[in-house]
Amino acid sequence: MRRWVFSFFSIGLSVPLGVGLCAADDWQQFRGPGALGASVSSKLPEQFDGATLKNVVWKTPIPGRSVGGAIVVGDQVITTTGDGMDQRRIRLLSYDTKTGKQRWEQQLVARGRPYCHPTSANAAPTPASDGEHVVAFFSSNDLACVDLQGNLVWYRSLATDFPKAGNDVGMSSSPVIVDGVVIVQVECQGDSFAIGINIVDGTTAWLMDRPRKANWSSPTLVKMPSGKSGVILQSSEDLVAVSPSDGKAMWKMEMGCSTTPSAVADGNRLIVPSGGLTVLDLSSAGAPSQLWKENKLNPNACSPVVANDKVYVVNRTVLVCGDAFTGKVLWQLRIPDAKQIWSSPVIAGNRLYLFSMEGACFVVDISGEEGRIVETNQLGDEVLGSPAVVGNAMYVRGATSLWKIASE
Amino acid sequence: MDMKLSWGRSAMNGAFLASLVLGTPTALLADTNAEKLGTLRTIRPNNDTDVKTASSVVKQLSESGDVGLIDVLKSMKGASPLGKNWLLGLANSLHRKSPESKNDSLRTFLMDASQDPEARYTVFRWLTDNDAELKAKMLDGMLQDSSPELRFEAVAKVLNSSENLETGVLQSLLDASRQPEQVVAIIGRLGKQGVTVNQSKHFGFLDTWNLIGPFDNVGSKSFDKEYAVESDYAAGKSLAGGYDGKSAAVQWVTETTADPEGVVDLAKVFSNEKGCIVYGVATVELPADLDCEIRVGCINAQKVWVNGKLVIANEVYHTGMQIDQYVAPVKLRAGTNQILIKVCQNEQKEAWAQRYVFQARLCDSTGKAISTK
Repeated sequence: MRRWVFSFFSIGLSVPLGVGLCAADDWQQFRGPGALGASVSSKLPEQFDGATLKNVVWKTPIPGRSVGGAIVVGDQVITTTGDGMDQRRIRLLSYDTKTGKQRWEQQLVARGRPYCHPTSANAAPTPASDGEHVVAFFSSNDLACVDLQGNLVWYRSLATDFPKAGNDVGMSSSPVIVDGVVIVQVECQGDSFAIGINIVDGTTAWLMDRPRKANWSSPTLVKMPSGKSGVILQSSEDLVAVSPSDGKAMWKMEMGCSTTPSAVADGNRLIVPSGGLTVLDLSSAGAPSQLWKENKLNPNACSPVVANDKVYVVNRTVLVCGDAFTGKVLWQLRIPDAKQIWSSPVIAGNRLYLFSMEGACFVVDISGEEGRIVETNQLGDEVLGSPAVVGNAMYVRGATSLWKIASE
Repeated sequence: MDMKLSWGRSAMNGAFLASLVLGTPTALLADTNAEKLGTLRTIRPNNDTDVKTASSVVKQLSESGDVGLIDVLKSMKGASPLGKNWLLGLANSLHRKSPESKNDSLRTFLMDASQDPEARYTVFRWLTDNDAELKAKMLDGMLQDSSPELRFEAVAKVLNSSENLETGVLQSLLDASRQPEQVVAIIGRLGKQGVTVNQSKHFGFLDTWNLIGPFDNVGSKSFDKEYAVESDYAAGKSLAGGYDGKSAAVQWVTETTADPEGVVDLAKVFSNEKGCIVYGVATVELPADLDCEIRVGCINAQKVWVNGKLVIANEVYHTGMQIDQYVAPVKLRAGTNQILIKVCQNEQKEAWAQRYVFQARLCDSTGKAISTK
């Protein structure tokens, strides 16, 4: 059978940030509005069950395998999959949020190598939308853009354009969309780059060389002090802010960042997985200054979540809460019986929902001075992507099914 | 409609761009559809002009509805891999608008083995994704289909139908199967019935290599350094003698692997040396010239030459390895063919970065091992 060397890889864990881009009721990119992974006004059921379908509004089996998250655009929940021989058939799928019935499908064939660690999948990155288009990226470096009816708008095979791009452990960086430009980060030991692509017609807006080292983190969007948008790219060598329109670096810091979890922007604070967490001040022009750094807040795989001036990280199977202003660790909570956690958690109201890879969802009360697990729910499906929360519903992309969780 | 697929690219683009600028009378639309499809068929890599034109073409054809779904599917035959995906995207859009109306013509298209394999498999999925009975019925006749995807599905259907398949059935599946994991599974099932298959030979792995090394690769700086082994090989000189190695003179050693996947363990042969390079040479005797493929799996950085020509080069360390990881078409000749591989190990210390291995096989474009003397 196939032989693999294990390496750290992210399962769409990194954070495409949609600052100011997402409609109020949508979850248009990985980890939703602001990429904070939080919908503080939502109220989700604490109890649900994949076997009895308690508080499962619908469950839709999907052929193939995916470890990315789903997005929600209007009344569509959109996800990707890779199926068929070697997961070479790459598919974008839309389902009705109310019924779970399929609305449309677009399918192409992977032109890059679709190979990955068995834990991952070719469909690892989370798709992104600007409300008019949907962009899907795959580990095989195939990038497709469709409209909201599933019609192909354009297609790029970045593996064909850049033949040495790829990583057979699996790529998982998720795309972001800002100011009419799709930004994709493809960092590996071969052709390593970030690229801006015009969303209207698929042409290249800009191209930036990146360190030739494996990286699974995603671009993060921020607002610069000037009010313009910026794209944060992180790697084991640097942290750089890029202008999305022309790809020019606005500032660059030589610092080693994590290559799995991605940065989060919370207002003027840029929370970077680096030496635990490093928080930078974005309020003035030029390279940002450091506000605090705390190595006990160490997100080893999942991206940080921010809500109500607190930051939450998952260090293997321990949930750690810190003060977002100071970095002071407020509490730690061991997640029992969780073997691996790849899915970045989400917050709804004062509850944090954290899925283990085995499909157990731990519901944590984060309203008090200590975190407390109030429920453990079994979905019965592998979960590696981060859920989407819209209104009082949570959409979970399991490896083989799509689930809508809401109170009955 | 008679497709004019042999038209030159510049003429097609010129005509299409002119129609965009001048506007196209409705009566002429049908005449230009072949040109538009031709534009999609021949899209070039990394070419913004082509991408922009293709985006316009797809939108126009998808919205106008005046191009036939079957024509789009037929135009995939002979298209570039990039072009096929543009055409596939258009075909999906057209099919979505009337998924049931063309089933008879789609069935006819599917059964026409001369059509593009990816187009045929796409049609198969449209017709059968929600009809398990039809899917099973259609796959019954597809064990030897020219489409690798249809063949894969046909083998899987039989293989998964019972844990107690007869030996003859399993052997017919082995003859049909090309996908490595599926092949290994069938050989495993045959083994449980007492039927031994030489897996390495079945795949066509090169199991005997003359190896020499280690040469210096400290700091991973020598991927492109041409050691004397390479220059002698390029010059067609005999490789029989020794060379100056990393820290001492080195001599060729012969290694024959018994691994069922043809894996040659250089860490074992060269005592877990790090920061080094090892060369391997394999020879293949053929009765006649042959177009085939060399398929390599390697966890380390590597270069591969066939009869003096560099065909594979990947400066990548410890990011996965599997059968058929890197594929290159090659022309072998009657008589002796010489394959040279350069395998580079770095100095990473992690436990998962200690492997120093490769595998290589020769097969036809479907993955079936070639016959050698």
